[in-house]
Amino acid sequence: MSQPSDTLSGPVIPPSKGVNWDPVVRVTHWVVALSVVLNGLIVEEESQLHNWIGYAVLAMLALRVLWGIVGTEEARFSSFPPSLLKAKAYAQGMLHGEHPAQRSHNPIGSLMVYAMWGSLAVVIGTGIGMEVFDIYEMEDIHEVAANLVLVLAAAHVCGVVLESRLSGVNLIRNMTIRTRSRGPE
Amino acid sequence: MTEADPRSNTHNRKPGAPSRRAGLLAALVAVQAVCAVFFVVDVTADFTWDGADVHTAFEAVIAVALVLGVIFGALEIRRTLDRIRRAETALSIASGALAEVIEAYFDRWGLTAAEANVALLAIKGFEVAEIAGLRGASASTVRVQLAKVYAKAGVTSRTQLLSVFIEDLMGEDLIGK
Repeated sequence: MSQPSDTLSGPVIPPSKGVNWDPVVRVTHWVVALSVVLNGLIVEEESQLHNWIGYAVLAMLALRVLWGIVGTEEARFSSFPPSLLKAKAYAQGMLHGEHPAQRSHNPIGSLMVYAMWGSLAVVIGTGIGMEVFDIYEMEDIHEVAANLVLVLAAAHVCGVVLESRLSGVNLIRNMTIRTRSRGPE
Repeated sequence: MTEADPRSNTHNRKPGAPSRRAGLLAALVAVQAVCAVFFVVDVTADFTWDGADVHTAFEAVIAVALVLGVIFGALEIRRTLDRIRRAETALSIASGALAEVIEAYFDRWGLTAAEANVALLAIKGFEVAEIAGLRGASASTVRVQLAKVYAKAGVTSRTQLLSVFIEDLMGEDLIGK
């Protein structure tokens, strides 16, 4: 219900099943998710592989930002502006058993993704600063931001499971391999 | 290469081939984005350490080309997805899902239960007096509710309200370019 022109054109998303994420969102999401697990927990720091994975995340972040401007309606930044007020209202609604249908990220998820992107940007920026430009003073910031990414990722997983349970919408399926038509099945 | 064939959508119930094409395109653009990032970082590093030379300049051209490739790739994916979604909307209407689509529009417009009921009856062709009779309300109440429906839908008449749904049925080809 954002703009008048919006209401008269474009596909209508039946609200009951949640957002059917497009392939660009899915690809960038899973490459970043895999990279965070690999670089944060498994791959040895200061290895060449660690750097390569970092570049891949930078690429996904850049692609997602581009997609946030030219992408599908639900993927565009304008569909999920960060708002503490809306997030608070949404949380209160959840406590009362309300699950308003979402056309993009829900208001809490929106704050989460912006925090995640910001943290990733810091991790990548400091990583490149150390690796390419030999600015080793950035190591502490790199570590702190990387830990923040892991905390946000854990919170994200908890949030998705909780929201899926409460709303009955399988959010995980909407981000994985499921393709569906927008009509009845 | 990225134009979705509309026939594959109208003949099969599932969005199969064009959807897979969009997925493949997304994966390709993702790989291209990784290459672009590598070249951009490499060029920046070379320029910082070695200054501008032929090698750096050549790499810079590649970097710019890759970045442009990613941007145009993303735009192509957007077009393909839009096409798929239009086809799906048309298909779901053709499959007798008009009621659900109307409901989804009502939901989007934020109609109250009473307004949605009045709007549905209006779309079905009932006159104000008939709607009032069916709902056990006064004609003036129905008229006010109908006016609210028009305002929320951004239309000015019952015909226009109906055309919101008819537009989806006809598709872009009939509207013509």
